Amino acid sequence: MPVPALTVSQSAADAALAARVACGDASALDPLYRRHRVQVYRFALFWSGSAPVAADVVQDVFVHLLTHARDFDAARGALLPWLLGIARNFVRRRAGIAADQTFDDESMPSLDAVDHRTPDVVLCERREVEQLRRAVAALPPHYRDVLVLVELAERSYAEAAAICGCELNTVRSRLSRARALLARWLDIDRDAPQALTQR
Amino acid sequence: MMKDTAASDLDTRLALLRDTFADAMPPAKVDDAIARAIARVERRSSAWSHARRNAWIAWPFGLAAAIALIAIVARPLHRNTAGEDATEQAASLAARAKFMPLVPLAEIERTGDAVLVSARVPRTSLSELGLPIDPARAADSVDAELLLRRDGALLAVRFVNGSGDSR
Repeated sequence: MPVPALTVSQSAADAALAARVACGDASALDPLYRRHRVQVYRFALFWSGSAPVAADVVQDVFVHLLTHARDFDAARGALLPWLLGIARNFVRRRAGIAADQTFDDESMPSLDAVDHRTPDVVLCERREVEQLRRAVAALPPHYRDVLVLVELAERSYAEAAAICGCELNTVRSRLSRARALLARWLDIDRDAPQALTQR
Repeated sequence: MMKDTAASDLDTRLALLRDTFADAMPPAKVDDAIARAIARVERRSSAWSHARRNAWIAWPFGLAAAIALIAIVARPLHRNTAGEDATEQAASLAARAKFMPLVPLAEIERTGDAVLVSARVPRTSLSELGLPIDPARAADSVDAELLLRRDGALLAVRFVNGSGDSR
């Protein structure tokens, strides 16, 4: 189901509601929560691979909005990307990863080093969706950011760049590498498990 | 570079993953937590607005404090112009008739929110303030006006029945 793009009027409505929250009208948070909770939840769910963590992140994000609505600047973009940026920080924090921490390819964890289900194990599972979900959750965080944002949360490259605080080209290259990793881990030719274990 | 077929297959799987979680919703407990957070903030801001709405009540108290201060300053002048003798007893009476600050005057001036309260206090209160009393009537009480800050702190006192030994 495609995620509808934010219309200009919806962005304006979001900005007005956020301004009301910033002025102390807490009730204005309710429509914002109802409008954006699913997007934030799905982002956190795809990113963390854990429903309880995603639920906690949603709560953290909207409580943060309630208390820090003044930090949102409508002139710099729509509310949802701002919320997703906060969600990214919270979900990384829960994973013990600093928001601005990146990984060189050299320091990228090998598949064998991932401490939960590794993609070669994942490949033995029956459900393809579950395989992919676990593989996404095993991606290095900076690759996971862009893959989840662009491919799963269906944000634009520009929004992903703003959320991650990086250049547009960086988003493109990270996305390309993330996809290449997933394609390798979930190789369609069914030889991947052997290939992974032989590395 | 990924092969086209692999890319296409990955896109298919990503689309499948998206669709699978398209209806994923945060659990109801998150809704409840957010509702509680909203209610908490609303309660807090409501209490604050209520306090601000009632701020006008402070004005009469401020006015009373200002009048009391004027009384402190003006009373000695009045007595001097009246030509009253500076006998020891008159001085005592004058001391009893005017407000006696119990805190530095600067602090009273800073207090814009004070209240004047009439009270009857033990006569021994006079001696505590350095005023002479008749030991034989120490158990009696005397009328006084107390200048209080709204938090209850005593700023100044005046014994209103002149000699203070009427009871």
